[in-house]
Amino acid sequence: MFKKILIANRGEIALRVHRAAREMGIETVAIHSTADATAMHVRMADESVCVGPPSSTLSYLNQPAIITACEITGAEAVHPGYGFLSENAGFAQIVEEHGLAFIGPTADHIRIMGDKIAAKETMKRLGVPCVPGSEGGIGTVDDALRVARDIGYPVLVKAAAGGGGRGMKVAKTEKDLPHAFSQARAEAKAAFGNDEVYLEKYLTLPRHIEVQVIGDTHGNACHLGERDCSLQRRHQKVLEESPSPVIDAETRAKIGGVCADAIREMGYRGVGTIEFLYENGEFFFIEMNTRLQVEHPVTETVFGVDLVREQIRIAAGEKLSFTQESLVPKGHSIECRINAERIPSFAPCPGLVKGFHAPGGLGVRMDSALYAGYSVPPHYDSLIGKLIVAGTDRPDCLMRLRRALGELVVDGIDTTVPLFRALLDEPDILNGNYNIHWLENWLEKELG
Amino acid sequence: MSKETNEDVAFIRALAEVLRETELTEIEVVRTYGEDDEVQVRLSRAATAAPAAPAVVHHGPAVAPPPAAAPQPEAAPAPAADLSKALTSPMVGTVYLSSEPGAEPFVRIGDTVSEGQTVLIIEAMKTMNQIASPRAGTVKRILVDNAEPVEFGHPLMIIE
Repeated sequence: MFKKILIANRGEIALRVHRAAREMGIETVAIHSTADATAMHVRMADESVCVGPPSSTLSYLNQPAIITACEITGAEAVHPGYGFLSENAGFAQIVEEHGLAFIGPTADHIRIMGDKIAAKETMKRLGVPCVPGSEGGIGTVDDALRVARDIGYPVLVKAAAGGGGRGMKVAKTEKDLPHAFSQARAEAKAAFGNDEVYLEKYLTLPRHIEVQVIGDTHGNACHLGERDCSLQRRHQKVLEESPSPVIDAETRAKIGGVCADAIREMGYRGVGTIEFLYENGEFFFIEMNTRLQVEHPVTETVFGVDLVREQIRIAAGEKLSFTQESLVPKGHSIECRINAERIPSFAPCPGLVKGFHAPGGLGVRMDSALYAGYSVPPHYDSLIGKLIVAGTDRPDCLMRLRRALGELVVDGIDTTVPLFRALLDEPDILNGNYNIHWLENWLEKELG
Repeated sequence: MSKETNEDVAFIRALAEVLRETELTEIEVVRTYGEDDEVQVRLSRAATAAPAAPAVVHHGPAVAPPPAAAPQPEAAPAPAADLSKALTSPMVGTVYLSSEPGAEPFVRIGDTVSEGQTVLIIEAMKTMNQIASPRAGTVKRILVDNAEPVEFGHPLMIIE
């Protein structure tokens, strides 16, 4: 096992990794920018190294500085956390070329999953369900009609070179398709200089459901059920829960088994998340995240495992400390992402935290790097804490969440706490009746 | 008696000199002249350089210290060495004061340097990075030892 690891991150996730390491008797090295000299992750770590100025490009993304920090401190492994360099294949490779362990997957796996087309092809080959569509570009309306008949309406015509919603048209029925096809082509030509388009099944009201997977270097792979992350704003998750209100044990075992088999086949190392859109009882692969997720604590809560500890053990060459049979979900867990943002605009709200009181008690976990007197710097992500609660079932969990939100105090800056208090008054939330569009529609209605 | 007192004053004056030169914060000396005849001197001054020069690696305590413990490099009054004007490290790495082991150092205290002249090198990822003087002047102080690890922003040298 490692004696010392370097945590190449900041904020609550740096703290999260530090805590796991400490409990394993491993020393920690924090890195930080000049703006984070007094941050909690720096204060808690055994050692710290300032790697650059406030700009994350020059500090938390500064690969030479981070490698050098390992060399001067004698750290044997690097934990990248999430964001920053966590899904940078080049960084994973450099870390290993310097004889250090990367606490994450191999550079090759990061690279494959980082490429949308390669990821989809890989998953399809491994038997993971993907969004049905044309295999490649479609040249004529007749071809489009033929493919659409196979995959079923509604369909989405998408620009091959597209992105950001441009060159995307929905055809609800066969009648709409010729028009949608020519419009998408024209838009694609204008926006990207390439009129190649392809067809995909269009999901109208899907949920975002993701499966937690984990594999070691001895050929073992397991899944740890699902998380429902459908409550999103601008593709940012806001509230996550496990289990999903719409997934039963049989469905869980089935999709989980498919995912675990896929990563076992790949020889995947460490934790990962396979994300799906879920509609009418069907799963459609979106992407795989080759890192620890922000919302990993809800899975830890229902399965009673420490995922960061497992990550470190796997990176050190040890075997998974559990088998699929031993993993039995218990109860329910919900996480709220508390951001330093002002409602209703969601404008970032950095500044001095005059007072901070974290909720506590049975079944309450607050992962945060805040302290009274800390100043939230304007240079980084606005996430300032995660409130995770456990309950014997979903209603119990919701009651505990309400209680914990009532105890939470962040004085001096605006946060998204009022949003969660308001959500707990919504029948749809209480009934688990929501999809990926629900929150944006609700915000529009409530806040205008 | 008065001669002795004068001697003591001279002794204390000499100690004060040492205190300033070495930039120590405190000196305590007991001088014994004979049985029942000794002078005990303790000189101290406000801490200056100590908090101003952050060590490359902060060895933290087991639990987080109170927020007030944050070092404020600018706040420390340092008459002997104004570290706010020091040449600071632009990167994490290891300092070398000479081009190779055993070679003459790039500069010594008192040397006159020109703007852009290499004053030391910092090794980062097996690359030797030449650190240039930001201005023409005289090397007043060298704040790092050879082969010392430094972090970003670590004061290296004072050139005035």
